[in-house]
Amino acid sequence: MTSDHDPAAEGAEVPVLAVENLSVRFRMRGGRDIAAVTDARFSVAPGECLALVGESGCGKSVLASALLGLLPGNAETTGSAVLGGDTDLLTADERTLARTVRGRRIGLVPQSPAAHLTPVRTVRAQVEESLRELTGVRGSALGKAALVAAARAAFPEGHLDRYPHELSGGLAQRAATALALIGDAPLLLADEPTTGLDRDLVERTVDELRRHTDEGRALLIITHDLAAAERIADRVAVMYAGRIVEIADAAPFFGAPGPRHPYARGLLDALPERDFAPIPGMPPELGALPDGCAFAARCAYADARCTDERPAFASDLACHHAPTGRTHPLKEAADA
Amino acid sequence: MLELTRITAGYDRRDPVVREVSLHVAAGEAVGLLGPSGCGKSTLAKVAALLHRPDAGTVTLDGTVVRGWRHRAPREQRTAVGVVFQQPRLSADPRLSLRELIAQPLRSTGRRRDVPERVAELAPLVGLSEELLERRPHAVSDGQLQRACLARALVLEPRLLICDEMTAMLDASTTAALVAVVERYRSESGAALLAVGHDRVLLERWCDRTVRWGERTAGSERVAVG
Amino acid sequence: MAETALALPGRTTRRVRIVTSATIVIAVALAVLVVPPLAQLDQQAVDLANKLDPPSWAHPFGTDDVGRDLLLRCVYGLRVSLLVGLVAALTATVIGTAIGALAGAFGGWTDRVVMRVVDALSSVPHLLLGIFIVAMFRPGVWPVIISVALTHWLSTARIVRSEVLSLRSRPFIDAAVSGGASRTRVIVRHLLPGVLPQAGLAAVLMVPHAMWHESALSFLGLGLPAHQASLGNLVQSARGSLLAGDWWPTLFPGLFLIIPTLALAGLAGAWRDRINPRRKSELML
Repeated sequence: MTSDHDPAAEGAEVPVLAVENLSVRFRMRGGRDIAAVTDARFSVAPGECLALVGESGCGKSVLASALLGLLPGNAETTGSAVLGGDTDLLTADERTLARTVRGRRIGLVPQSPAAHLTPVRTVRAQVEESLRELTGVRGSALGKAALVAAARAAFPEGHLDRYPHELSGGLAQRAATALALIGDAPLLLADEPTTGLDRDLVERTVDELRRHTDEGRALLIITHDLAAAERIADRVAVMYAGRIVEIADAAPFFGAPGPRHPYARGLLDALPERDFAPIPGMPPELGALPDGCAFAARCAYADARCTDERPAFASDLACHHAPTGRTHPLKEAADA
Repeated sequence: MLELTRITAGYDRRDPVVREVSLHVAAGEAVGLLGPSGCGKSTLAKVAALLHRPDAGTVTLDGTVVRGWRHRAPREQRTAVGVVFQQPRLSADPRLSLRELIAQPLRSTGRRRDVPERVAELAPLVGLSEELLERRPHAVSDGQLQRACLARALVLEPRLLICDEMTAMLDASTTAALVAVVERYRSESGAALLAVGHDRVLLERWCDRTVRWGERTAGSERVAVG
Repeated sequence: MAETALALPGRTTRRVRIVTSATIVIAVALAVLVVPPLAQLDQQAVDLANKLDPPSWAHPFGTDDVGRDLLLRCVYGLRVSLLVGLVAALTATVIGTAIGALAGAFGGWTDRVVMRVVDALSSVPHLLLGIFIVAMFRPGVWPVIISVALTHWLSTARIVRSEVLSLRSRPFIDAAVSGGASRTRVIVRHLLPGVLPQAGLAAVLMVPHAMWHESALSFLGLGLPAHQASLGNLVQSARGSLLAGDWWPTLFPGLFLIIPTLALAGLAGAWRDRINPRRKSELML
């Protein structure tokens, strides 16, 4: 496995997860349709962390549920999400997902670890159960394996016999991470792992996830916390109104020259450490998306073309004003 | 404006969450209270909003010592403080439309006739359209619901606004938008602000001064450590 | 929208159940409300020549020991049982909701005292308590209703109290208090509407309970007087003929008690499914 995060160097490898034109529609009562995710396209390589960022309601959690096969029955998915080059998560049956994918090939780091752990059983009992299920370790080896599993997520040995409610937020997060790591899954999926945690804890959680990525796993982290994304990600995918509008390397995205898509720029500028200025307006309803660019109504650069025609996702960007290239043509104008 | 003196509070007298905490917010001042999650700062916020009776200590609001909490507090005292909580989903009665949500304090205080006018004033301020106002909480996003909760806290024009982790669940843009609404209201009304949170960068940018939880608590050794 | 997400029971099964239950309930309601006033038949008509006739075209349910038509008797009996059941269930629900809401909303000592009284009353068998209550009055409809209401509000009070307690700690109640709402307003505007679906469900589920309670009292001869024949009275008066091998006077009143009970329970179950499912749409917003 590699500890080199230059995506170019990893181009030759088979991605751990390759998502192509993934769309999720919810059929609602009364014939209404909700386009929760539309034409998502991205891939994650071993040892790489991709952060999927966007505001709540942009469809990123639905995307995560789709990858785990946990969508409600009224959802329809199209496209493909190929895991490890051989299993399409969207067409695999529930039996395959339950027996060979969840836990074994995708480890889930949950949003609220305290709720994810079984309240009436100690952490040790839950770790041992996962070990039995996922690795087949039995008998006396189990105790030792549990210690190793806990140590991997930096969960202190002395707290193993505690119940979830006796753990602080940080320890609960580590316990959940320890469980996610047990199956040695090549892909970790972290859905808002830092919501409600304070800054120190966010950084510690994120750093630990980064460490597991450096060991050669692929990490897909879904978050609205840009500071957390900046700290951990190799690449960033920005989602708006169900579509990925930009995918970029993290360093130029957060540093210079900055994001190319106006929405991503607006999102970064809203941070308190930057301009602290909100993007005007609110995102459109996923059930009533405009024909043109979904961001046009809030965009300072929008012109007639933006409202008429939906920009294609090309060169990792969906914006009329920057068809190709690294820099935003209007960036200079805006900065001037 | 608000003076908390040696407040001890919690849900079990033998094991209070807040111990001997003092805090001062001057009229028109914006104070940020910074602390890790689970340290008891939300409980302190509820004490300050007259929603939770402390076990010991005194709360002085506008120079008057507070004698009763919740329903025992005089209505004028209660409504002088506006509160916004962390989780909009839990802070909104699921049966009410956003319009009714915002109007509730007016109806509670016998100002039903002001409802159309005040809602019409506040909705654009917090960025809610007429169409959104008619929806119920389950049909809007967290960010939209929190906008309505903020409007509800402002509808009676409080002299002190308490924001308890108001933006913890929200994205950067909505956070900036809500803070801008609060600041606009404060500049127009001269109201004071107590913003409770764990995001140092945010509170330092937002408030006149920030207080760290440990600095003012005698019982800081109890503060949960991750 | 969310229903399809729930694996059990399947949508079709559930629809069949709802339709069947609703059809039965409507049919029963029509039978007991429309037939008696319209029919020119006298359920009390005695015909000693045809006593204890087995079911036939003239008497589909047969006749009883004095030759009265059992189908007619059952319809009238169900009418009485259902009315007693409805009124008693409604009364019990109102009492239970009021007491449960007060205990939950006030908390503290009020709550402790009220709930200990509830526990104490619950520890006495319902029927025993019911018998004790009817025994204090002259036989009639009202003593039976009072007996049912006073023994059946306990579970509703418990349900409502726990619902109120869980709602009371929600921040939206804090927000209402902070917005100047009075205690009454919090209870009436925010807590009660939140528990009404649960209380309504409890009420529907209680109707069959109340009917059975009434039947049990009548069967023991403590319920309604003989001229207001309820299903319980019918079963009771048929005991003698059952020993002689005449099954119809007990079977049909029994079925008339069981079938509406199951139908009501089926409808209540559908209602419960309706108020319970998590709205999956929240997941994506």
